[in-house]
Amino acid sequence: MTGAIPSIALVGNPNAGKSSLFNALTGARQKIANYPGVTVERKTGHASFADGRPISLIDLPGTYSMTPASLDEAVTRDVVLGKLDGEKRPDALIVVLDAANLDNHLCFALELLALGLPTVVALNMLDLAARDGLTLDAERLSKELGVPVVPTVAVRKRGLSELLVAVDGAIESHQPRATVAAPANDASLRQRAHAIANAATVDETPVRRWTQRVDNVVLHPVGGLIILVALMFVMFQAVFSWATPFADALEGAIGVIQTWVVGTFPDNFLRGLVVEGLLAGVGAVVVFLPPILFLFFFILLLEASGYMTRAAFLMDGLMGKVGLSGRGFIPLLSSFACAVPGIMATRSIPDEKDRLTTILIAPLMTCSARLPVYTLIIGAFIPATNVGGSPVGLQGLVLFGLFISGIVGALLVALVLRRSVTKGNAAGFMMEMPRYQWPRWNDIVIALWQRAWIFLRRAGTIIAATTVILWLLLTFPQAPAGQSQVEYSVGGRIASGLEVVVAPIGFNHDIALALIPAMAAREVAVSAMATANAIDAGDDEDAMAEALGDRIAGRWSIATALAFLAWFVFAPQCISTIAITRRETNGWKWPLFMVGYLFALAYAAAGITYWTAVAFGLG
Amino acid sequence: MTVLLENVLDRAPLGVMVRIARIDWDAMSEDEGRRLREFGLMEGCEVTPLHRGSIFSRDPLALTVGRMKVIIRARQAAAITVEPAA
Ligand SMILES: Nc1nc2c(ncn2[C@@H]2O[C@H](COP(=O)(O)OP(=O)(O)OP(=O)(O)O)[C@@H](O)[C@H]2O)c(=O)[nH]1
Ligand SMILES: [Mg+2]
Repeated sequence: MTGAIPSIALVGNPNAGKSSLFNALTGARQKIANYPGVTVERKTGHASFADGRPISLIDLPGTYSMTPASLDEAVTRDVVLGKLDGEKRPDALIVVLDAANLDNHLCFALELLALGLPTVVALNMLDLAARDGLTLDAERLSKELGVPVVPTVAVRKRGLSELLVAVDGAIESHQPRATVAAPANDASLRQRAHAIANAATVDETPVRRWTQRVDNVVLHPVGGLIILVALMFVMFQAVFSWATPFADALEGAIGVIQTWVVGTFPDNFLRGLVVEGLLAGVGAVVVFLPPILFLFFFILLLEASGYMTRAAFLMDGLMGKVGLSGRGFIPLLSSFACAVPGIMATRSIPDEKDRLTTILIAPLMTCSARLPVYTLIIGAFIPATNVGGSPVGLQGLVLFGLFISGIVGALLVALVLRRSVTKGNAAGFMMEMPRYQWPRWNDIVIALWQRAWIFLRRAGTIIAATTVILWLLLTFPQAPAGQSQVEYSVGGRIASGLEVVVAPIGFNHDIALALIPAMAAREVAVSAMATANAIDAGDDEDAMAEALGDRIAGRWSIATALAFLAWFVFAPQCISTIAITRRETNGWKWPLFMVGYLFALAYAAAGITYWTAVAFGLG
Repeated sequence: MTVLLENVLDRAPLGVMVRIARIDWDAMSEDEGRRLREFGLMEGCEVTPLHRGSIFSRDPLALTVGRMKVIIRARQAAAITVEPAA
């Protein structure tokens, strides 16, 4: 073991705390959540032994045995066996065990031990074992297994240095141990695991678990579903009412900067770019940071508490009716935040057709990039009143309605797809339900910070770039006096061309202008309109101070606004989603299919909405 | 008093511990069977069915096996014959 940096893989059952250990040891920020199947690809990070020698750690997807059932689990097997292309086999394994579930976790551990690599066992989640009334003897376990066993509590960073010392020792003193063959069949493997678990268990006091009482309520056939819907409802209400003060403050701050720049610098090309393109355009998107963080906050709570698998349980019946499984509900829920990680998360779905269908409908979930669009239009056209004297805000209710339309649309699409292009066996659904845990505030704050950063980086790169290009297209050529600059410009004329196509579904020039740049990302629809408005406002201070929402409310009919919302429920306007779909389906066929069917649906939905609204006199 | 049990897990009353007498492995795919065993569902082990379905359907079934709580589909539960636990 001299020369090369030793690589050490973290392996074990799903949800054992591998990624938590990985993060604690390397300082990385891998996603951690309380359900099986969070990590879906291998990830390397750097750490070092106490004396400073560097090591490379590998975090792997959790799996139950060396025989994988899904894509993510296959990665684990390939890495551990050294079968992954261009990757050397790990020099040592850290087998991560859930101390409160030894019987089960030891089965895979025994299989891994039989590989004969230098191995250390991390007896993790000892705090949860104690909560469940278990007292374990790590030394005894070590004797039974024939490898070092180190007690750890990954989330409190306990046992980390001991773990590294043990790994170092195991690599140094390793002698091939090919003799410890794993028991030949499942039953004897399980018996042996059970015997070892028994031997290592010093004391087992039955404790009355409050978690069972929680499940009795949360998984109730009727009550559970009501709770699920209520949770989603509160989530979208909060996005509106709780986040508004923060968003208003941000908007105010950007306005102040804008006025300052206009008042301080002479009117030239650069000032126009900064004020109309960056401050008005990108700023219009940045003000949505607070609502987006609220949305993420709720999703993080659901993920950390262990509720995700309960939601999957409740939705399985409905998902099953359209040929999917409850398992697919987890990536779909994650897609509320963003469809890209949602689509990656489908790797844990065993059935290929089930997975493909879930990928194809993931863009229908109300992702956070839609919030700016929805919020802007709802804010402009829906009064901020409460429904019939109740504390329920009308705006939040409409947002909730849009979100439900996304889900219903997704289920209907799945129903059709599963009977046509992704026909196949009925999907199965087998999943472990993790114990409930209190969300760890540290983790949540860090995850929120991470999301905020990603959002701001997005605003600073793809959104800013698209908006600046649009600003250039809208600024040249200079319109003669008396004509609208936006309509006269190159960009305006392109939009007029598109307007012909989208006029039947009620879209006006403003929308046509926003649609093309919004292909890059949905939020750009908002920054594009803000930029166009700022250019139109010119130096007119009153017009500039007028909020984008108010301007839109004055120029669009309600029917047009509703059609625009309906469009965004379906339209696949996100380059990243298309790119990730191409990667995850290995080719252009499915992303193209996805873009095609979603645009067709978007056009139809916007059209139907518009014509209906016009029929009701809202045109 | 003896409790009369339907003899497949899919019909077993909720909240009552039962022992798995037999599993018809042929009624499910090889992958499903393996995952069942990986969850610890094998002949001779004791399980407690706890929650079944929602207003949408009888699917799925949540049960405890050892210290674990797992979800399976009714189709698999129907292939598992159970007997009263001792
Ligand atoms: N109480 C307690 N919770 C832990 C401990 N280690 C991890 N967790 C929690 O267990 C859950 C799963 O942790 P992860 O690190 O995501 O597990 P994983 O093994 O990477 O899971 P997969 O990627 O799905 O295979 C999270 O909710 C963690 O906060 C521990 O030592 N004690
Ligand atoms: Mg992980």
